[in-house]
Amino acid sequence: MAAIADLPRLGLGLGLRNVHFEEILRDRPRIGWFEAISENFMDSGGRPRAVIREIAEHYPIVLHGVSLSIGSTDPLNLDYLARLRRLADEIRPAWISDHLCWTGVMGLNSHDLLPMPLTEESLAHVAARVRRAQDILDRPLILENPSSYLRFAQSTMEEPEYLRRLSDETGCGLLLDVNNVYVSCFNAGTDPVAYVEAFPCERVVQMHLAGHEHHGSHVIDTHDRPVRPEVWDLFRLAWTRTGGASTLLEWDGNIPSLGECHAELLKAEAYMTGAGAAAPDASVDGDGPESISNPVGFLVPRVMDSNLMEPA
Amino acid sequence: MSADVASVQRWMHEALISPRSAARADIDARLIHGGRLAAAAGLAIYQRGYFLRIAACMREQFPALCHALGQPLFDDFVADYVRDKPPESHTLYDLGRRFPAWLEENRPDRDLSSGERESWIDFMIDLARYERQVFAMFDREGQEGRPFAATATPDEHLRLQPCFDLGAYGFAVPSYYHAVRRGEAPSLPPRGPAYAALVRTDYVTRTIPLTQPQYVFLAAMKQSGTVERGAAALARHLGMDSSEVRDSWSSSGERQRWIDWGFFVAGLAARPDGNDGIRSLELQDHAPGRPRPTMKGVSP
Repeated sequence: MAAIADLPRLGLGLGLRNVHFEEILRDRPRIGWFEAISENFMDSGGRPRAVIREIAEHYPIVLHGVSLSIGSTDPLNLDYLARLRRLADEIRPAWISDHLCWTGVMGLNSHDLLPMPLTEESLAHVAARVRRAQDILDRPLILENPSSYLRFAQSTMEEPEYLRRLSDETGCGLLLDVNNVYVSCFNAGTDPVAYVEAFPCERVVQMHLAGHEHHGSHVIDTHDRPVRPEVWDLFRLAWTRTGGASTLLEWDGNIPSLGECHAELLKAEAYMTGAGAAAPDASVDGDGPESISNPVGFLVPRVMDSNLMEPA
Repeated sequence: MSADVASVQRWMHEALISPRSAARADIDARLIHGGRLAAAAGLAIYQRGYFLRIAACMREQFPALCHALGQPLFDDFVADYVRDKPPESHTLYDLGRRFPAWLEENRPDRDLSSGERESWIDFMIDLARYERQVFAMFDREGQEGRPFAATATPDEHLRLQPCFDLGAYGFAVPSYYHAVRRGEAPSLPPRGPAYAALVRTDYVTRTIPLTQPQYVFLAAMKQSGTVERGAAALARHLGMDSSEVRDSWSSSGERQRWIDWGFFVAGLAARPDGNDGIRSLELQDHAPGRPRPTMKGVSP
């Protein structure tokens, strides 16, 4: 199994979204790499599988999962892992990532990224499952800090410490989602800079950037708008501390054109050189209904677009 | 052993799918207080997101049904559905799999006799069935990148391609769906049988209206594999000789049209085992004395 130190530095990349397939295949824009949602492709016998095969011929690809449920107390889903392995063997991603979370229990799936109690017991549980998953996938797993809106009373350690120990015990790599750091810390009333400074940045293989919705009293991880200034500032720190980990922009709701997504991604360059300076922004996003955290609607294809009716 | 983790996860998952089950005392005991976001408010974000996330995906999977019912009523059905049938699969594509059957089992007039039941509910269930079929066709294993049957392929070698399905409906739901797709606001169609083939080529799914005899032929072929058995089933259904059906299928143009639409691949010739396995088809046999049907429909 490869070590995370051997994984490539890919620069700046974008989340691969259905609405951009045609443009990517047709124009092959100069985008460094793409991150594909594993579940959109691993079960596919249709166009998504053909698309990712073709894109993987021209760009580095990373597979990012939302349903491995590495923290669940249900048995590890071996069928899921076998399907993921088959896809990985086919498209040869630079790495495979998922989240430090659980998505369901008792055979059910919430389709959300739910937080773990951060205890010795849960660490041992997750570490054992990470080892098993890595054996099956034959590569290190890269795990992301999720955005969270609650913390469990029984937790005995902070998330950076938990992830450091998990990485030390299993050899897994880490995906530092800078927006998630901001969201979780804001909601918990803790310091995001202290979080990044405590994070095992030497284990970070990849970073995420995304937009969030600010409600004044709390923030929601919506991935449906530009990155906010306070997250850019945090990214500048994270970029330095990780030594320039591969960085990816996620945009999952109200997805704009590929060009607009790319332009938002390229804003990162200013913060990578240290020149960027984000004006503080205390604005809130109105009193309207809250958007969904971790939206998944973009994962469901609009099949009406690929349907025709012939005359009798 | 991870008993404490399991206990927390069971509690939180139950709190998501049945928000009223989360007692305030449990929330206070299990969650940390003191952040900007109160513990109950934080849990509420997960509870609200659980349903809204699933409803958004269901609207993507059943856009025509959502159009027909209107989003508020559609969302109400989805809320009841996910309460009864919470998601089990890792893939969101599976969310709608049990929805048409659930609608049938939970229709508001289910205690009435079939003659007393509301027609519009039958239509909605048929539309849900069709939409699920269309959605499933999108990502199934198909024949793309591999050869299809050609005109010269002998009948003995014709097999239905893997991404092929059939539907028999009580309303013209495919026409309704495609009118919604075109951005129209179609009226609910009157009751009347409608048959269709769904076939995917080059990652485009086509719906092709069928006559009842065509449906019988293809349903038997789908079930038992060969043209010969399809023709035998149709011959029994129509009260005709099997050779007449074979002549009709070749001469009426169906064979060529269906090859052109990519219905068939070239397989191996079947072994004659004498059992076509098609007697379970739930269609009425042709009654003696009625006009004589052909592959195209009912002859004048």
